[in-house]
Amino acid sequence: MATNRWLATGNFFTAYKEEQRIFLTHLDRTFFVAFVAILYAWPLFLNADNKTMLVIDNILVAMVAILGLNLVTGFAGLISIGHAAFVGVGAYTAALLASSLGGSHPFMTHWWPAVIVVCGLMGACFGAVVGLPALRLKHLYLAIATLSFQMIFEWTIQVMDLFNQGQTMPLERVYWFTGEVGRKHHYLFWYFVSLTVVLVLGFGVRNLLRTRYGRCLVAVRDNDRAADAMGMHPGLTKVYAFALAGFFAGVAGALHAYLYRGVGFDSFTLHHSIIYLAMAIVGGLGTLSGSFWGPAAIVLLELQVEHLSEWLKNAAWFPAAGNLSTALKPLVFGFVIVLFLMFEPRGIANWWRITRSYLKLWPFRY
Amino acid sequence: MLRTYRNQPQLAGDNQEKEGPMRGTSFWKKALVTSMVGSFALAGTAQASEAVKLGMSLAITGPTSDAGVPYSKGAEDYAKYVNDTQLLGATKIALDIRDDEYKNDVTKRLFEEFLDQGIVLYLGYSTGAILALKKDFEEVKIPVIPASFHAGNLVDSKYIFLPITSYSGQVIGLAEYVAKNHKGGKAKAAMFIHPSAFGRGPVEDAQKSVAAGLNVEIVEVVEHGKDLDNTAMIKRLMEKGVQYVITHTVQSPVATLLKAAEGLGVVAKSFGEAGKLTFLGAHYTGGNDLIALAGSSAEGFLWTTSYTLTSEASKGTDLQFEIAKKYGRDEKTMNSHNYTNGMMVVQVAVEAIRRAQAAGKKITRASLFEELNGMNGANAYSPMTTVAPVTYGAGDREGVDALQLYRAQGGKFVREGAAFTPAYYKKPN
Repeated sequence: MATNRWLATGNFFTAYKEEQRIFLTHLDRTFFVAFVAILYAWPLFLNADNKTMLVIDNILVAMVAILGLNLVTGFAGLISIGHAAFVGVGAYTAALLASSLGGSHPFMTHWWPAVIVVCGLMGACFGAVVGLPALRLKHLYLAIATLSFQMIFEWTIQVMDLFNQGQTMPLERVYWFTGEVGRKHHYLFWYFVSLTVVLVLGFGVRNLLRTRYGRCLVAVRDNDRAADAMGMHPGLTKVYAFALAGFFAGVAGALHAYLYRGVGFDSFTLHHSIIYLAMAIVGGLGTLSGSFWGPAAIVLLELQVEHLSEWLKNAAWFPAAGNLSTALKPLVFGFVIVLFLMFEPRGIANWWRITRSYLKLWPFRY
Repeated sequence: MLRTYRNQPQLAGDNQEKEGPMRGTSFWKKALVTSMVGSFALAGTAQASEAVKLGMSLAITGPTSDAGVPYSKGAEDYAKYVNDTQLLGATKIALDIRDDEYKNDVTKRLFEEFLDQGIVLYLGYSTGAILALKKDFEEVKIPVIPASFHAGNLVDSKYIFLPITSYSGQVIGLAEYVAKNHKGGKAKAAMFIHPSAFGRGPVEDAQKSVAAGLNVEIVEVVEHGKDLDNTAMIKRLMEKGVQYVITHTVQSPVATLLKAAEGLGVVAKSFGEAGKLTFLGAHYTGGNDLIALAGSSAEGFLWTTSYTLTSEASKGTDLQFEIAKKYGRDEKTMNSHNYTNGMMVVQVAVEAIRRAQAAGKKITRASLFEELNGMNGANAYSPMTTVAPVTYGAGDREGVDALQLYRAQGGKFVREGAAFTPAYYKKPN
């Protein structure tokens, strides 16, 4: 074990337990604590407008969803093209609770943390059921099975009166210790809530990966027959990977529902499932930090493409009938994903890893 | 001042590295001084022009952008026209038009951005987004004029002002026309609707009217999918004795329906021809785009809206041509009823601003809300681009109450009879 826990460089592990530490050095931990403190403190000092806070909240909610997708697709190697439907399950659970209990029922407005957990559990149930085909299917066949869940979800929501046929189902404002969270503080409040959820679930995933259950996911991904021979249960592992992903997605859905104060069908379409996959790939499949980088990169990319489209639309030299942004967004997304798959298949998370390694050695080169 | 450019490119300092560090420092000093002077000058201009901020988000790309694009051009051109001709005197309007891609989440973000900018009136678009944001409108007390004429927008809301009669009113008006002109017993009709809140909205109201005595039997309500052929559906309707199909969707599914009916040879040559189908449609089903898509099969299609059309001479049409030509619009855009639609919503907003100014009020959300509610009786507003005046009041937030029926004839829509008000339609309070 390194004698200096503050500035350890290189691999000095003498036991597996040391390698499994969440923070390798005290410096890492200190930086992390400082970073988290900044994340909680900055909105109190910088007066961000509602639009900015909404964008940041969206990134945080997507992070929760991608944590789940990364578990099932990144760590367990089970491709899921229906992740937006799982997020939708969570959101519609909240909406159904609101419509059946009444939007202003204390359970919805005061016990909202419990509602978020219930939504996560409902997502987990659906995840486990949808994961059952994973016992017999792999690769593209499994992708089609999850795609079919997405299709069933969309059809069900759009047709059934129970779900208001896809129209927005409203949710009321929630309460905090200081009283009702009004419009003025709405986005700020959900920033703190979403940030807390991201941190808690992020630590949850980090810890999961240190346990035998987390290692099972990776082992089954790499070679399920070998994992079976080693005494693991590949079938059970796959189902519980889907259930975990469903839980994360359900929580993200509940956060989305409360953030937007309503649930509408068009936030959980196949398009969103593909965007989630893009986030996971760009961020870095099979990495924890990739779950944070991916949503941030894609949401900000989307905004910048939108700004570029607006600018091009109004540029005097561009034909007014061009409507470039119709093509620009899919083009840019497709291009970015192809570029990442070609040149950086490990995603932004790998850049982060390289940067950290560089800083760890700096000012020495090796 | 109309905001047309966003994210201006930063060109300053491009050659700094080539010119060396000292010249670069000099450049930055000059740039700093220039930008400071520019900022003061711009600040002065902004104060002098007294720009009233309006926000508009709509589908310029994505689903329904075929309607959204001309709609946005109409709104943009009329806003420019107001500023260029000083219709509001020294006061300018700053209309920020943004593309929501027909997505509720994007619309919500744009609406929050507009609020951060300090808009006093919001021009919305889709039914889904308006329903999703309804509570926000109530909370911030902002008057909203949407492109969606869904009657449900008005339920539990007092800040949403529909420009014309709701979809429900339009569908009921068409059903009344069928009942009045059908020869024989009770007319059998089917509804062909969009599979969304927009499409489903009028179904219940139409059924209520039938229950209240409207002499039409609604045999079937068909929610269309993305079918490229409707042959089987048409045959099924005919087997049920349907003679009239009332459509409430967008143009392309109607064109598909009409082409299939023409292929089967079942399009009625005259209204109510026995053994054939007569097709009718609400606002977003018709217009020149339908004729362009459906070709000869659109002949005889009966369409209702509250807007004047460029195929019929009127003062509103002259104004529309004048503005569209002034800002270099092509023939297709200037003849689009959605261009008229976009123009009209800005006309109403500008009129509310003008009245508030005339009354010596500060231009705020509250004063515009008050002025919109005061548009009735002798104070009704006639924008000329509609077939009747715009009237709003405490219990009436549907602007133009009258509808005009148009018939597709010789490749254009021509007026069919006089404007009318649907008798069985009850406005939501």
